[in-house]
Amino acid sequence: MIPAMKIDTDNLSSHMIVPQLGWVPLNLRELWKYRQLLRIFVWRDVKARYKQTMAGVTWVIIQPLIAMVVFSLFFGRWLGISSGDVPYPIFTFCALIPWTYFVHALTVSSNSVVGQQSVITKVYFPRLLMPLSAVLSGLVDLFAALVILIPLMFFYGLKPGWELIFLPVFILLALLTALSVGVWLAAINVRFRDVNQAMPFVTQLWMFCTPVAYPLSVVPENLRPIYELNPMVAVVEGFRWAVAGQGELPLRMMLVSICAMLVVLIGGLYWFRREEACFADVV
Amino acid sequence: MGEFAIKTSKLGKRYVLGTRGAHQGLHKLFEDNLRALAKPFLIQHSVADADQHPQFLWALRDIDLSIRHGEIVGLAGHNGAGKSVLLKILSRITWPTEGQATLEGKVGSMLEVGAGFHPEFTGRENVFLVAATLGMTVDEVREKFDQIVEFAEVHDMLDTPVKRYSSGMYVRLAFSMAAHLNANIMLFDEVIAVGDADFREKCLARIKVMADEGRTIIFVSHNMELIKELCPRTLILSSGKLVHDGPTDIDLLDRYAHLVEHR
Repeated sequence: MIPAMKIDTDNLSSHMIVPQLGWVPLNLRELWKYRQLLRIFVWRDVKARYKQTMAGVTWVIIQPLIAMVVFSLFFGRWLGISSGDVPYPIFTFCALIPWTYFVHALTVSSNSVVGQQSVITKVYFPRLLMPLSAVLSGLVDLFAALVILIPLMFFYGLKPGWELIFLPVFILLALLTALSVGVWLAAINVRFRDVNQAMPFVTQLWMFCTPVAYPLSVVPENLRPIYELNPMVAVVEGFRWAVAGQGELPLRMMLVSICAMLVVLIGGLYWFRREEACFADVV
Repeated sequence: MGEFAIKTSKLGKRYVLGTRGAHQGLHKLFEDNLRALAKPFLIQHSVADADQHPQFLWALRDIDLSIRHGEIVGLAGHNGAGKSVLLKILSRITWPTEGQATLEGKVGSMLEVGAGFHPEFTGRENVFLVAATLGMTVDEVREKFDQIVEFAEVHDMLDTPVKRYSSGMYVRLAFSMAAHLNANIMLFDEVIAVGDADFREKCLARIKVMADEGRTIIFVSHNMELIKELCPRTLILSSGKLVHDGPTDIDLLDRYAHLVEHR
């Protein structure tokens, strides 16, 4: 039989439930306590994505690969857009890797709360884990795409230099950018499903504002200060610098966009926590 | 620490009836504004008027409760009486509109059979998933793993996704997990109604053991026989109000039936 054990009621921590109105603390300590669950959520997302698909992980690679071919043909060859000192396919693929990840992370995280109605109305856990696991699980795709880059670089006779060690910095920046906008959209999506309708449109517009298909140099100097507020500009330029050694470390750009991103991220986290109280009632 | 595992005072939860404003979407806001502008020209605007005055429903109001460590409390009431809302507030799924509740220790709730399960996950994976939602570490779960599986009688199905489980296996695994994880306050919402008589007996026995261990249990059921057998104390909710809080007695059944008939 089950061994009898006594619950020690002397050392229990107590918590109080009161109406939640307005802004509340982020409670990052609790989030840390639930890191195990975050790991399981990430694994669940990855598993759910590839289950019962024949091509499995190939799908993730095909997407940026085909985009690369199309872009190289239309923009690189026919429109003759300059890609500087690296071949156009490498130039655009270096941008497509973080960009594809970003779009995916953004889409999945904005749907992360709405897509789990049955769980959030029945089980308690810190809700921030949902958008967080969404942006983390997309990293698997990003690494798969990075692996494809190796033979491609080899084909064009390019070798990455010491700059490559800085790649994680730009991956982290892409992740945090996706998270910063993702938490806002995830919370708004609970009340307004319009977010789903707007998503494809927003990401398309965003891509035009990011130097994926064209070099940064075509953007007029006087628009740069606004243009560079978009953290994905720094991410894309950073990827090109770290992988293909093109240009320089976009340090100033990074500082500007990290500041912009942090404002959006911190605001988003607090907004999410504020809205959290009504998730189970409204969703 | 304190004497009580759960203590609430003036706990209340209000819902807004109908779908108004933000809950309905941007187009509704737009439409409302348009309607307001066009009002002088409209002959009939009764629909819009109804929208202007939100109706509130107090799903729960003025709930004062004190439940000691180790108590088993039955919770009854007709559909919509507020039983589930109370459990949801106590398990921090939804927030109260007024009042407060203090809980000592970890709350484990089972508001639905297999709530928190992921259908694509295997039984084994789901044990870890559900345990993690209680904030437990992998090591803590490993310690209890064999007990959980043994009680649930699902050895053969451990590596099969739970979406292929029969409803019996599902409820056995779900209950077993709730019963073995390290929460000291357990909230059960009508969960052992499923499953066969043998397993029900086993569950009841297990719940008694849990109470002996010092855990506090709130047990929601429509089945008054179950409550009589299991719970020394009963709460009855009616339209969001606590109408009975005391020892379970034989009168209870009649009173409960009366309540349901005359609401």
